[in-house]
Amino acid sequence: MFKNIKNLPPIPAKPVAEMPHTKLGMDYNVWCKSQKGNHKWRNIRWPVLIAVNLLFVFSFFFELSILEGSLSGSRALGFYLIDTYNALQVILISIPGGYFPSLTMNFWIGFSTILFLSIMGGRTYCSWVCPYHFLAEMAEKLHDYLVNKKKIKEHSFNIYLRFVFWVGFLLLALLTKNIVFENINPVGILSRAMIYGPGLILLWVLALLIFEIVYSKRFWCRYVCPVGATWAITGKAAPLRVKFDHDKCGYCRDCQDVCEVPHVLWFVQRGKATQKTHYADSDCTRCGLCIDTCGGRALSFTIKGLDKIV
Amino acid sequence: MGKSNTDLNRRQFLKSSAVAVTAIAAVGAGVGYIKKIKGTDIRQQNILRPPGAVSQDTFIYGCIKCGLCVQICPIQAIKLAGINEGLSYGTPYIDVRTQACDFSCDSLQCVETCPTAVLNFKQFEEVGGNALTEYQKEHDVSDPDFNPFKIQIQAMREAVTMGFAVVNEKTCLAVKGEGFTGTPRGEDFEGLNRTPARGGGRGMGRGQGMGKGLGRGKGLGRGEGRGEGREHEEGDSSDHEERGEDRWQQGESKASLLKNKHYEREICNLCVTECPIGCSAIEMKETQGQDGKLTFKPNVLDGCTGCGVCVMVCPTENPSIIVEPLKQESHV
Repeated sequence: MFKNIKNLPPIPAKPVAEMPHTKLGMDYNVWCKSQKGNHKWRNIRWPVLIAVNLLFVFSFFFELSILEGSLSGSRALGFYLIDTYNALQVILISIPGGYFPSLTMNFWIGFSTILFLSIMGGRTYCSWVCPYHFLAEMAEKLHDYLVNKKKIKEHSFNIYLRFVFWVGFLLLALLTKNIVFENINPVGILSRAMIYGPGLILLWVLALLIFEIVYSKRFWCRYVCPVGATWAITGKAAPLRVKFDHDKCGYCRDCQDVCEVPHVLWFVQRGKATQKTHYADSDCTRCGLCIDTCGGRALSFTIKGLDKIV
Repeated sequence: MGKSNTDLNRRQFLKSSAVAVTAIAAVGAGVGYIKKIKGTDIRQQNILRPPGAVSQDTFIYGCIKCGLCVQICPIQAIKLAGINEGLSYGTPYIDVRTQACDFSCDSLQCVETCPTAVLNFKQFEEVGGNALTEYQKEHDVSDPDFNPFKIQIQAMREAVTMGFAVVNEKTCLAVKGEGFTGTPRGEDFEGLNRTPARGGGRGMGRGQGMGKGLGRGKGLGRGEGRGEGREHEEGDSSDHEERGEDRWQQGESKASLLKNKHYEREICNLCVTECPIGCSAIEMKETQGQDGKLTFKPNVLDGCTGCGVCVMVCPTENPSIIVEPLKQESHV
């Protein structure tokens, strides 16, 4: 479905007369500099992310029964929530392990709740909850700074690499009857470190961050993390999307610069868009950085299909 | 992004494949390492998996390390392993010398809360259900004393198999014929212990009908038959035996700090009297030698669940009783 949109003949790029800067009567370069965005969504997102993770910590520390467990599996006000990729691995190993029939109703409730949420919102979890995402954002800033200073070079990989990892870790789980991935998952490690106390394993997270700073920007989130990849798959048709309005776009591609997964905004380049309206691909983490940065307000959050219902 | 140079793409693809292959190979090697360490250390340290763990292998591997069992445990007996503890990272364990499982939660909540069934509640559900059916056969619902919960709970906890206690006769005070007076683990020890329901545990052999044996500790068991044994707890002067009964009726018995308890035993028998399971798990064996002298030895019976309370309360420098994890068969 999305492939089809990409393969359509592109609509012609807007002539100068229709560009947003012309409408405002400004020079293009001046417009680009003057129309810097704000940090509206980031200023909502970071507090939410911190609040959710603190809620985990406080729930344990003060014995509140609000959000127990950690990010790999938890219970929110009595309702179980289980990370989809972990749940898939549990199912895979419980069959040869012989305890598949013992999987509780709570397991299935937790599995289907998160599955449902990801079908509705895709990878929203990544940027709004994941503590590693937060650290990686900081690392990204440092990385960009070093790249600008020409201290290091940017290295990129194939974006489909994570689907190799996704299949690879599932196969490893099946073959070894071991949830191997959870041993190296920085999301779970950070979550546990916050809730149950830090351990030496944090060195692994530190190593990942250093690698992201000096070698490849957002390496884990972009190319490895199968947790996010799972929700990129289940969220293929998610209604919660970033919407693109071609009429307001100035082709500056600022949005791709700030994006964690720039390929989801493939249509912002001059002459690439095939329709007047596009939606970001399912890899999008709904972080809102592109919306904040867009000077022409061409990007916005939307719930697909809502306009049809209302 | 966005550069569609074929050469760059090919190089990128090669680079990516190299990363994927290396990474998965590295992780595979890591798994080999985990497999190697999983069985060795755990046997030597009084370290157990929480109740209801399916076989050791499957347990370690199926655990998603969410820590819900850690959070639910009212006495914080369960901890998560770090990478430097010789256990598989992030998996829950109980170090019984530091804090044993004294069944304070009554209903095996760590097992019940486990979302992935590596702590498998199904077996306990069954046992509890059977006990309930038995009880209902013999008791009438209209009876004001009708209370099947204690039967269920007792049946469930007796079905636990975390390990099996083994007495070290070289250091055991009872074997040496010595008594014990004082606080077993010193004034700084932070471990919690709930006074066992002696009435509940006594007389309930495993094979017997669950409803029958609850005759409130008729006659003292051999262990506590050393009638001189006394225990005081601050702010509680009631007789021990009575308290054991009250506990079920009031539904109120909090685990209290072991350091607040004071014991006086002519012959040390703490492991026997503090056992939350009771006489189906451990007894004090008395033998009369030819010279007429009595010798004592704690004798671990089949009913031992490996909860480790005996290890925690053992007053000797190194515990004279340890719990060996069972070579677990799968319960499924």
